[in-house]
Amino acid sequence: MNTNAILSAKNRINVIQGDFYVSDDPQLVLSTVLGSCIAICLFDPAIEAGGMNHFLLAEPGANSEKDPLQQRLYGAFAMEQLINEMIKRGASRSTMKAHIYGGSNIHRAMAHIGTSNANFARDFLRQDGIPISLEDTGGSAARRLDLKPATGQIRCKHIPTEDVPSSAMPPLLPAAPARVGDVELF
Amino acid sequence: MGPITILTVDDSPSMRALLKHALVGQGHVVHDAEDGLLALDWLNRHIPDLVITDINMPNMDGFGLIEALRKQDRYRDMPILVLSTESSDEKKARARDAGATGWIVKPFDPDKLAAAVRRVTH
Repeated sequence: MNTNAILSAKNRINVIQGDFYVSDDPQLVLSTVLGSCIAICLFDPAIEAGGMNHFLLAEPGANSEKDPLQQRLYGAFAMEQLINEMIKRGASRSTMKAHIYGGSNIHRAMAHIGTSNANFARDFLRQDGIPISLEDTGGSAARRLDLKPATGQIRCKHIPTEDVPSSAMPPLLPAAPARVGDVELF
Repeated sequence: MGPITILTVDDSPSMRALLKHALVGQGHVVHDAEDGLLALDWLNRHIPDLVITDINMPNMDGFGLIEALRKQDRYRDMPILVLSTESSDEKKARARDAGATGWIVKPFDPDKLAAAVRRVTH
């Protein structure tokens, strides 16, 4: 599928903040728009499947209820959901390849939030032994991202933030799951 | 509560590091293993006070680890907590039937984790 085919794909899923999606459907394209947020795209040629997540960590100090450990725990959760779904389909850390996108420093009041998000994603992937084959992070522009999960083909276009619909711009706080850390004793 | 010895089992090095950071910060002694088989190997040579295990892991998953431990007399009553991104009732029921003591949904809250550790090890 060439770039035009990605753009014209009829079977498209929008991966919103806090969400992830994995597929081996050759007709499917996963799309998202990123500002400060990060999207990790994983592809494993051994199973011809891939996936994308989309998450945001709050900048330390931006939310007094979220200390740095809790932010890393949330980021790790977002990463683990995506990796687990890939592994369930037969992927392995040794054969997966990762791309990192996003992490723009868009919000002037929180100038380094994008950099913090990109640093977290890079460190997580390195520690988990998943090779990073491409990284497009930082700057001040937003990004429109399309991934064809069955082939790993990716299109990333930088776009002015004024061209991004407000519904696609991330809030300053991460979208944590509603039941964080729930404990159930049997 | 005095320090206890905890074995954490998770295939993600990043998650193991975060879990160790939280538990060591609460004063506990923490060892870790990256899957159920490696955990069993460690548990053949050591007896911790608590096991905290992920579910989705290669080689031997969390269900397999719990079932294997409950077949051993010395691990029949030891607390085993599951720590997973999964939260379906079906998975929880399977863990309970295998012999798990409780289920914690990731991302864990360090304070809730500390409270659960206190409760199951007393």
